[in-house]
Amino acid sequence: MASVSFQNIQKAYGRVKVIHGIEFTINDGEFVVLVGPSGCGKSTLLRMLAGLEEISGGQILIDGTVVNELESKDRDIAMVFQSYALYPHMTVRENMGFSLRLRKADAATTAERVAGAARILNLDALLDRYPRELSGGQRQRVAMGRAIVRDPKVFLFDEPLSNLDAKLRVAMRAEIKALHQRLKTTTVYVTHDQIEAMTMADRIVVMHDGIVEQIGTPLELFDRPGNLFVAQFIGSPAMNVFKGTAQGGTLQALGASWPLPPGVAVGAGRELHYGIRPTDLRLAAEGGIPAKVVVVEPTGAETELLVDVGGQRLVVVMHGRTAARPDDTVQLQLDGAKAHVFDAAGGQRL
Amino acid sequence: MSASWKKVGNEARLLLIGIPVLLWTLVPVYHLFLFAISERDSATSGRLWPKHPTLQNFEIVFQQKHFYLNHFWLQMFNSLVIALAVGAITLFVATTAAFAISRLKVRGGRTVMNIALFTYFIPAAFLAVPMYKTMSIYGLLNNQWSLILAMVTIASPYCIWVLKQASDKLPWELDEAARMDGAGPLQLFRLVYLPLMVPSLVAVGTYSLLLAWNEYLYAFLLLSNDTDVTLAVALGHFLAADDSPWELLMATGLIYALPPAAIYYAFKRYMVSGLTAGAVKS
Repeated sequence: MASVSFQNIQKAYGRVKVIHGIEFTINDGEFVVLVGPSGCGKSTLLRMLAGLEEISGGQILIDGTVVNELESKDRDIAMVFQSYALYPHMTVRENMGFSLRLRKADAATTAERVAGAARILNLDALLDRYPRELSGGQRQRVAMGRAIVRDPKVFLFDEPLSNLDAKLRVAMRAEIKALHQRLKTTTVYVTHDQIEAMTMADRIVVMHDGIVEQIGTPLELFDRPGNLFVAQFIGSPAMNVFKGTAQGGTLQALGASWPLPPGVAVGAGRELHYGIRPTDLRLAAEGGIPAKVVVVEPTGAETELLVDVGGQRLVVVMHGRTAARPDDTVQLQLDGAKAHVFDAAGGQRL
Repeated sequence: MSASWKKVGNEARLLLIGIPVLLWTLVPVYHLFLFAISERDSATSGRLWPKHPTLQNFEIVFQQKHFYLNHFWLQMFNSLVIALAVGAITLFVATTAAFAISRLKVRGGRTVMNIALFTYFIPAAFLAVPMYKTMSIYGLLNNQWSLILAMVTIASPYCIWVLKQASDKLPWELDEAARMDGAGPLQLFRLVYLPLMVPSLVAVGTYSLLLAWNEYLYAFLLLSNDTDVTLAVALGHFLAADDSPWELLMATGLIYALPPAAIYYAFKRYMVSGLTAGAVKS
């Protein structure tokens, strides 16, 4: 187990800079998820930590030791790849024992550790099969088994669930989380799926265009997004965001008056981005902001409505069911304390 | 109804092309066979089947009972040794080169490969004299190594190219996974790369082996002693006489053609998939 520290990490391909000075520390035993849209540099950062990609600037430390110049194999880390990267010509047993074989571990130790990992991952019955004879989920587990057998300081996961179908993904998500709770090994997990990030992480690092937008626990990011990007990236369905002008304790936008969060003091006439999560909008009998229903999507426990307010489409998620039909006019109510406001120019939270 | 007629039409067209191609290919081979089982006098009679088919020619060949066939078994052995050596050395050179170019991404590797391929712009026959000169400088004339080295030179560029294309198709993550598991380049080569390349290696090995087995020009130029030459050159000697013993030439030729046919048949599964691998970008 170990801590991992990124100090002013930069990466450039030729003259194109893709990572611009990233700085944060992962504590011992922590499960950290790097999340962001594709091309944000999260995989590159992980690969630099793995030693598969050169570091153009800054330092990476594992347990206080600079590893910039260390080969992958000397960093004592194990990685699970998106494509699993199992050796096709080796059985599950050989795949899992490969790293020990290269380290010239004796046969008894290897067998014992492979058996141990197989037990944890429920792979006992599959040890003599070849990767081509396994299903996607099983392959994924073998890839994890290969990492566990090493008993490394840090686990790295590079979008490990993207090749699985939706149902299996949810199951594997829980399995990886349970595995971490059992082994307590420091883990860095890369994904573009914010739900995966929210459900698995101790802390999330949101990345965008090669910089870190915000670091925090899942609920911190959800409740207090630091800027407009994080606000719109975290949460599903995404936060409703529109522009307006501050006036007294309210914001004038879309032909209506929206309450500002208490404690946000902005001068009258200032331009703001106003954000409200779909779950924080309610339907009321009367006395709210009038909105025209466009689409009603019942999902059973919840109902998702797409409504139109002054030409802007907003999403409302409500518990239970509604009698509202498309083209009906409904009244929206909200609590100003649940609203998020961001600077119109820089997108920073106010 | 119309669909089945269309099918018949298609079949007919295929047969129209297939039958001439089959005849075109088989007629010379049939002639070879016909000569080989004919008696000396009737060999050129023009009959489609000899009056008295005989295996006597093969007996003469196997027992080396003719002036041209005094060293038949030795020459056969020479052919075999040289072909095996060329196959093995080419395989070694091409595999290591392809691994270095494709997987280790050695700087300038692609350029080296392209320059090597460039040699195919010049017909091998034109290079025969320079090759002769080179071998004489190294004092290798009349030494079987000269032929082995020459054939390796001719076979390698193509083999490197085929293997490089095939290696490019191996997922890159496998190398990265192996590196993270602690493999150095040599372990990566031995434990991951080679086992996955087996089909292409068989194809390339067979190709270079057959190339050397069938080679005439270079063998004729570089080797002169009757005890050093390959059977292909020995067959050529038959034509030096005014009245060549055609039936013996053909019998020997038939024997000489059998090992390649057997090898090709045994490995044809690999040949097709291996040699076409990388022919098109998938």
